Amino acid sequence: MKDESRENEENHPLSEIDQVIHAPGRLMILVLLYVVESLDYVFLKNQTGLSWGNLSTHLAKLENAGYVVIEKGYQGKKPKSKIELTTQGRKAFKNYKSSLQMVLDDLPD
Amino acid sequence: MKSNIQLDKHVLICYIYFGLQSSLLLEFLIPHLEDPMSTQISLKDLERNVFQKSFHDGLIDIQIGCVLLMFVIAPQLSPYLGDFWSSMIFLPFWAVIYLGVREIRKKIVQPRVGVVEFGKYRKSRQKKLGLVILVFNLLVLALGILSFFNFANLPGWVHSVRFSAVILAGFSLAGYMQEFPHLYLYGILIALAPLIGEFLYITFQVPHHGIPITFGITSFLIILNGLGIFRRLLKAHPVTSQEILE
Repeated sequence: MKDESRENEENHPLSEIDQVIHAPGRLMILVLLYVVESLDYVFLKNQTGLSWGNLSTHLAKLENAGYVVIEKGYQGKKPKSKIELTTQGRKAFKNYKSSLQMVLDDLPD
Repeated sequence: MKSNIQLDKHVLICYIYFGLQSSLLLEFLIPHLEDPMSTQISLKDLERNVFQKSFHDGLIDIQIGCVLLMFVIAPQLSPYLGDFWSSMIFLPFWAVIYLGVREIRKKIVQPRVGVVEFGKYRKSRQKKLGLVILVFNLLVLALGILSFFNFANLPGWVHSVRFSAVILAGFSLAGYMQEFPHLYLYGILIALAPLIGEFLYITFQVPHHGIPITFGITSFLIILNGLGIFRRLLKAHPVTSQEILE
């Protein structure tokens, strides 16, 4: 019974959706990174409206998945970070976009 | 006749300064949001909105207003310093404004709004705009020289119309290429200044072709608008520190 349920879950079209990207917070981050070359924490926080803690957690997950790269540096004495989408992240976002579109397009009106 | 020659000198210097300043402004024509959750998410619109938002800090407005102040003060200084130096004196003033705005952006705006670097599409648009502005400046210079020598002995209002047309075309072009509608409005406001000034001169014999009055009003309005935008930005974005995340 359990195996059958797992099998159904795996065959479900939504299983194709990348769960790392699918979380709303991470999706917002990736959408922004997709349209620019790079940005910093402050800009990302202002645009997404996420708290520092949430932003940090989501970025860590995206970094672990290899979707973003965070360069930590300094400008004078102040910390300055640069967040960029990796090639893998860009590809994953494109796949996510087309998978989601495919699933939604198949739904009846 | 003598006053016409003096006016022509001013027009020439104003053209040159206008060209120089618009080149300086280019650096600031870099870096807002339509509803990204509208029925259809357009990534292109989102990119444009992010670009506009990062650019909308009021400092560009303050800088444009300060440039226009030259047209207000230079004619007043002309009897003491001569046409050339009364305008040239603004170069260090512009340099101070330019450097001041750059520092304010770096030390006050960026820590609040953040830093964003745009992709290939935006960069190529910037390059194209740079080229167009260069061609445009050369055209302005040529028109300025023609006004200075006044070969065709044209009446004063022709120079005003020509100047207005150049201002309107320049600002509209920058507004279109930067997708920044603010600049269209400024183009119209500034282009009206020489025309209304000339009208005041012909009708009421207002000195200096009415330029100090009309440009004074325009620059005051633009600076005021810039200060308003800047104040709202400071209120909306209190200082944040990345150290929390480090």
